[in-house]
Amino acid sequence: MVKTGLGATMVRAGRRLLSSLPALFGVLVFTFLLMRVLPGDPAVFFASGPNAGKEEIELIRKQMGLDKSVPEQLVFYLSDIGRGNLGRSMMTGQPVLKDLRERLPASLELTFTALLIALIAAVPLGVIAALRPGSAVDHGVRLFCALGVCVPTFVSGLLLIYVFYYLLGLAPDPTGRIDVFASVPPQRTGFLLIDFLLAGDFEGWWAACKQLILPAVSMALFVIAPLARITRASMLVSLGSDFVRTARSVGLSWHKVVVTYALRNAILPVITIAGIVFSTMLGANVLVEKVFSWPGVASYALDALLSSDYAPVQGFVLLMAGIFVLVNLIVDVCYGIADPRVSIE
Amino acid sequence: MCFVSFRPASCVLATTALLLIASAPSQAQTRAETLRYVTGSTVNTLDPNIPGSTRESFALSMSTYDRLVAFGRKQLNGKWVFDLDTITGELAESYDVSPDGLKITFRLRKDAKFQDGSPVTAEDVKWSLDRCVTAPILGKAQLLTGSLTSADQFKVIDPLTIEVTLPKPDKLALPNLATVYPLIINSKLAKEHATADDPWATAWLKEHTAGSGAYVVETFKPGEQVILKRDESWNRSTANKPAFFKRVIVQSVPEPATRANLVERGDADLVVDLQASDVQSLEAKGKLKVVSTPQYNAITYVSMNNQMPPFDNVNVRRAIAYALPYDDMFKAALFGRGAPLFGASWPDGKPPNGIYPFQQPVKLDLDKAREYLKAAGLPEGFSTTFSFNVGQAATAEPMAALVKESLGKIGIKVDIQKLPDAQMSTQINEKKLPFYTEGIVAWLPSTDYFYRNFYTGNQRWNYSSINNPDLAAIAQEARFEPDKAKYEEAGRKLNAMHFDLMPQVMLWQPNQDAVMAASIEGYTYEFHRQVDYRDVSRK
Repeated sequence: MVKTGLGATMVRAGRRLLSSLPALFGVLVFTFLLMRVLPGDPAVFFASGPNAGKEEIELIRKQMGLDKSVPEQLVFYLSDIGRGNLGRSMMTGQPVLKDLRERLPASLELTFTALLIALIAAVPLGVIAALRPGSAVDHGVRLFCALGVCVPTFVSGLLLIYVFYYLLGLAPDPTGRIDVFASVPPQRTGFLLIDFLLAGDFEGWWAACKQLILPAVSMALFVIAPLARITRASMLVSLGSDFVRTARSVGLSWHKVVVTYALRNAILPVITIAGIVFSTMLGANVLVEKVFSWPGVASYALDALLSSDYAPVQGFVLLMAGIFVLVNLIVDVCYGIADPRVSIE
Repeated sequence: MCFVSFRPASCVLATTALLLIASAPSQAQTRAETLRYVTGSTVNTLDPNIPGSTRESFALSMSTYDRLVAFGRKQLNGKWVFDLDTITGELAESYDVSPDGLKITFRLRKDAKFQDGSPVTAEDVKWSLDRCVTAPILGKAQLLTGSLTSADQFKVIDPLTIEVTLPKPDKLALPNLATVYPLIINSKLAKEHATADDPWATAWLKEHTAGSGAYVVETFKPGEQVILKRDESWNRSTANKPAFFKRVIVQSVPEPATRANLVERGDADLVVDLQASDVQSLEAKGKLKVVSTPQYNAITYVSMNNQMPPFDNVNVRRAIAYALPYDDMFKAALFGRGAPLFGASWPDGKPPNGIYPFQQPVKLDLDKAREYLKAAGLPEGFSTTFSFNVGQAATAEPMAALVKESLGKIGIKVDIQKLPDAQMSTQINEKKLPFYTEGIVAWLPSTDYFYRNFYTGNQRWNYSSINNPDLAAIAQEARFEPDKAKYEEAGRKLNAMHFDLMPQVMLWQPNQDAVMAASIEGYTYEFHRQVDYRDVSRK
């Protein structure tokens, strides 16, 4: 029974993956064209030494392959992608693939932590609010959520820095993933928290953790609202349904009724929203990354966009599309685990 | 180090022990011996010659490479600034300029070594200068301004002597060799990494340093940070000693408010790119040292496209010059932190000297502006756009609002246009913007240089697109004018023409506000507008 359930999920996942390939290709071509339609010539921007003239501009244009026609450029670009080459960033001077590989773990680590904090806070909040709808607790949760959404992440980020770093001195200086004076663990996964654990360096792990808390909290504050609201709504439906009434009437414990029956049934939409929230967070945490000098992919893409640096932007969009596909897959699989009916079809 | 009585084995042991101590982990170095410099910019290449390299990369290369010569420094209103007129030897022990000004002979220091321990020879110098004028890199356009264009001009006389020949006696030849680009590279090392497609090893040098500079690159994370370690054998400072700090951390912190917090809390030692409002409040608190130097080689303009109606009419340009609310703009954009280039009084209607940039005798005078508009045949005014780039928004946005308001009073309707940086530079290059604000910087600020580069030719830096043959001729002639009095006369003429033609309006020279811990000393405003890490020390 379990086997067939799992098998069905895998088949579904595989089918999903295949059907997303045309969409990925579309994103690829669309971004490519969009970047070229945007006004702004990267060659002119990057040729901005105090004496850079026409010659330098031409040189950069040639380096970036912009001296060729757009269809030609597209063919070159696609064949490069086929060989796993995403091009070179003018901004950092590095291959885009290398940049992304170094920066993606930073973004993922931050986003995962933020999502975890958000879920840990949002689900109980939603449940409490649903258990006593209309009460002071419910209103309290609503107010908290509203505040979280109203305050943009960079404001909450700057506020947190001001209070915990500047005034209280509790947090380490908000510059990146690790203290500049500390040594970095040997890179295995790129996730500092994991790498420190693997290296057995608990002091380092704590240092990296401290760097992570403020940016993760400021991001989490922003997404607690949708998660808590959806938990509340879906818990309300669940609590009002027949099976919960039955469970209550047969005298099951409070814990069993609320957590096992009501929450498990209510969690499905929360997983969907968490998936969407995760994908948007990964792309939209640019402000947090900027405020905390976090070397992530979003701030990298923004800088590239402002300077019309084509390759990093294209690479970033491709990466995001890929992650989106992947997250959807995972959400699908989670569905199957949370609710076996889904995988039967 | 070892005495005669020691047996060789113990001597080896002692040396090994010493080496071990010397190479002990960097944590052993105290915080006081480390300079932590935070910046909004990033280092993107270790060779500043690579097209697209950032200002921070320029600054870094000053410390990782040596040049033949360097600029001295002088006090200007109590602050240290670079001195264009004093050229001191860096890798050159001394230099001679022949009486006819056509030959410069450099004698190299005998003790100069590259970071891999090999000596610096005239061959290396020749290869490096050849590279600068031949390879498709940024140095080419820069050295051109000093009549250095071909590899034939550099001749090795002996392993420690090199001779540079000039086609004309050019005042800017020597200063050019002190700029960022003509750095001296370990040619043997670089050649090992050259390929048939890339004979000048540009790809390799982008990621590696092969120089003789004061600092060795320890880690280089493009876009994040660079950590430098002092080269103990380097002795090219004025005191013939190594640089002060054992370690320098150059860290990118994009958010200006965070940079301000870091330096105020004492976690960072030095920052030069804070917002004017933060500088003001930090200065008021008095805990930190703030060194404000007007960037005397940089200018902010309001530019008008002289080829595009209605700005092709000189009276329209004059009207604009009298309708800008200078004082309010200066306060709103810079909090008054800079040197104004407006509001002079010329009692005899003539420029007092031949130095550019200069204060123009313009001020807000709406009646005068209206008269000029009437003279231009546009008494009712007109509509136009005023553009600035997003990167400058902190200063340009309040400025643009004031321009719009003030020009509205004389009937000129202004639409404010905020452009992403790459778009703005493209449109400037294509001469498509009618009316905008931008800044310039000149590494070698002399009057003729400014006029030749920023007021002639159909090229990007000629913001106003002015095409005046007389002006171009005078500036070109002044370039090679050996007589100081005649040069001054040419400068006066050019300045008078500038005021008369009003191709664009000079606003001000913004301050470089260096904010540093109270213990930091020796900060000098450099031509590249970043910090030279070799200048600073801790009390």
